[in-house]
Amino acid sequence: MALTASIIARPPRASPLAGLALLAGLVVALPLAGVVLAALGDASADIAQRDLLRYAATSGLVALLVGVLTALVGTAAAWLVVMHRFPGRDAFAWLLALPLAAPAFALAYAYADLLDVGGGLRTALRAATGHDLPFEMRSIGGAVFVLTAAFYPYVFLAMRAAFINQSVAALEAATMLGCPRRQLLWRVALPMARPALAAGVALAVMETLADYGAVHFLSVQTLTTGVVRAWSVFGSTASAARFALPLLAAAALLLWLERMSRRGRTHDNGKGRWRAIAPSELGPVRRWLAFAACAMLLVLALGLPLGWLAWQLPLAVPDWARLTLALRNSAGMGLAGAMVTVALAMMLALGTRQWPLAGRLASLGYATPGAVMAIGLLAPAGLIWSLVPGAGAGIALLLLVLAYAARLMAAALEPIDAGLARVTPSMRHAARTLGRGELGAAMAVDLPVARGAMLTATLILFVDILKELPATMILRPFNFDTLAVLASNYALDERLNQAGLPALLIVAMAMPAVIWLTRRIDGARPGALNAAA
Amino acid sequence: MTAVPALICRNVSRRYGGRQAVDDASFVMPPGRVTCLLGPSGSGKSTLLRLIAGLEPVDGGDIAIAGRVMSAPRQTIAPDQRGVGLVFQDHALFPHLSVRANIGFGLTGLARAARAARVDTLMTRFHIAHLGAAWPHMLSGGEQQRVAIARALAREPALLLLDEPFSGLDGRLRADVRAALLADLAALGASVLIVTHDPEEAMAIADHIVLMADGRILQAGTAEHCFRSPASVAAARLLGAVSVLPCTVRGGVAQTPLGPLDAAALPDGPADLVLRDHMLVTASDGVAAQVEHVQFCGQGHVVAARIAGERVTVQCDTAPPTPGDTIMVALHRPVTGIFPRGA
Repeated sequence: MALTASIIARPPRASPLAGLALLAGLVVALPLAGVVLAALGDASADIAQRDLLRYAATSGLVALLVGVLTALVGTAAAWLVVMHRFPGRDAFAWLLALPLAAPAFALAYAYADLLDVGGGLRTALRAATGHDLPFEMRSIGGAVFVLTAAFYPYVFLAMRAAFINQSVAALEAATMLGCPRRQLLWRVALPMARPALAAGVALAVMETLADYGAVHFLSVQTLTTGVVRAWSVFGSTASAARFALPLLAAAALLLWLERMSRRGRTHDNGKGRWRAIAPSELGPVRRWLAFAACAMLLVLALGLPLGWLAWQLPLAVPDWARLTLALRNSAGMGLAGAMVTVALAMMLALGTRQWPLAGRLASLGYATPGAVMAIGLLAPAGLIWSLVPGAGAGIALLLLVLAYAARLMAAALEPIDAGLARVTPSMRHAARTLGRGELGAAMAVDLPVARGAMLTATLILFVDILKELPATMILRPFNFDTLAVLASNYALDERLNQAGLPALLIVAMAMPAVIWLTRRIDGARPGALNAAA
Repeated sequence: MTAVPALICRNVSRRYGGRQAVDDASFVMPPGRVTCLLGPSGSGKSTLLRLIAGLEPVDGGDIAIAGRVMSAPRQTIAPDQRGVGLVFQDHALFPHLSVRANIGFGLTGLARAARAARVDTLMTRFHIAHLGAAWPHMLSGGEQQRVAIARALAREPALLLLDEPFSGLDGRLRADVRAALLADLAALGASVLIVTHDPEEAMAIADHIVLMADGRILQAGTAEHCFRSPASVAAARLLGAVSVLPCTVRGGVAQTPLGPLDAAALPDGPADLVLRDHMLVTASDGVAAQVEHVQFCGQGHVVAARIAGERVTVQCDTAPPTPGDTIMVALHRPVTGIFPRGA
């Protein structure tokens, strides 16, 4: 029939969106594959199996302790703030998330200096009481304390969102069925919020495993410090990759555990009947106890360490030239990294309908420490350098942006997916029948609808990249300092007074974004738990 | 010369995994008229709609719209190239665009002024001119539907598809919206295919009805023809409640519990006599039936009864019987049909 000839032959699966998603997926897959390949290579540095086991045991112990402590602190703070009325409650609801603006290494510098055995505070205490404080910051305990202070907000935010979004009807039903109010947390609210708890703790543990700056400064040897040491001291990518493999495995395990705990537990809170939880009034003593608990948490996690760093500032003469340059580099890398990552995440989000594996891959990237990502990119980098010997700082910066993208893609995907959820399949189909191609429909409908979500994602990534240390250290071009690198270099030179300013500058740059992010999750759903991560 | 049909589906098939969602479906849709695709949920009518819109490829057969083949196996003209408008059940308005911008969304080829004029015309025609600056979330369900239809018609499609357009509305409002909308569509002379699961709605709005069940087309024709002369028991059931009485055909005569009836075209063997509700009335002589249940229905009473053990519905305009009574019933209209068993 002649009519049939007029048909435009179209291969059914050639979709431009799937192609873009594949590209974005490759960015994540490349460093992951790079690590595995590098680990198979010849390890020139002899790192004993015993060391690997010791580092792994330390990593495991720190991760376990931080996981338990952040779960307790974060859940307790969220329960207090959501379910009770006490002085300062509304302010604490978002203030308690602010430690996210401070990099863990800044807390480590401050506490190590403040509580140094030879420092002013302890000397004075010894003179006054004749006793020394029974602990030492440069220890596993010290690292656990610092990391808990730095990462409890992940659990706090997740649990706060979960408690806020819980149907008050379930709590009221429990009360009517004879459950006393003080048992509501254990018997109803906590079991219902278990997926959020798992997600928050998983984030805190992932960050703990990925941390380099704080644990390294506190002389705790974890797998991540092992990765950086194998590379920087022994110059062996293969050895570094061997330390990285258990971290990759741990990342996959964490991801799997988190997924398992979420399985079949999408708690629908029945939009129409949703009512805000009425917080209960606390007694005259208890309300001030609640205030004191929240205030102490905030002081310990933010006020005391940052205050100490600020207090020490006048003791150092800042090297303004280096600082300005580092500030510019940090802002530039933060913006470039955030925008590239958001663009890639958008491509991934639009295309994952055709290619769901990409989303999983991105999550694995997020669970993978930055140091590991950097090691994974060293092999491709070496290849580029051997092919184009003249390729200079530009390529190195590009690789660094790729490392950020690979690591943080999932953090951008979460808000973007939530934003895109507002676009129903029928809206996309409507755009198609109204004359747009697949790509055109995405540009005309998906992109504008998800604009707000993309801004959120950009801010989240900006903050994360500002605080990033190990990947930047490994992949940066020679003499390219960010604020984090500068602070770390000063700190390792025992010039803590000098390290204070770049660390505080990071906080100052990150704080507006963190405040904006934490204040806007009030209306968010439980799924937005990463919204301020 | 006859007009080119708005739509021809010829032996169209679509399979999901092992399930045949649309199975060898063929029908022709006359141009400039309203056609209803009627079937229960899960009958494949929405899938067929998506195949016609080009949102999914066909596995077999072909689809021609306004004389042009648009879908054949492995050859699907993209939805944006087909000249088909589709109005979704949830309206699918773009939340980030105003009503004006939603309606103008598909008018990409036009100059600014021409586009504005076209949008104005459509908004006036569908009585939403005052809503131009409003956002979709501010509109009522009926208003959203008008915007969605105006948007779909903006590109002057050869064929307009509506997926369960009235399912979100209820009661009195539904009938009003339906009547107003059909008047507007009729004035445009558009070829419209409406998918619905509601037989009363289908008969109220459509010039032409296509009956679908289990992925197959059971019958196509005018509403009256389909109602009075169903092609099968299943087709009869789709357009309203029926009573089915088993009978036997021998020599062109069906021996039924209601007496012998003409069945000249049928082969000998077991068959089913199909009766629409209210075809049986209480009478002074006729066939005995045992009353099971009586319900008042306004004009009279509806009696659920059994004839020879088979359930039937009887219309009663006199004093109602009580359950347990035996009453006499008779046919007061020609039967809907007699069909060989298993056909």
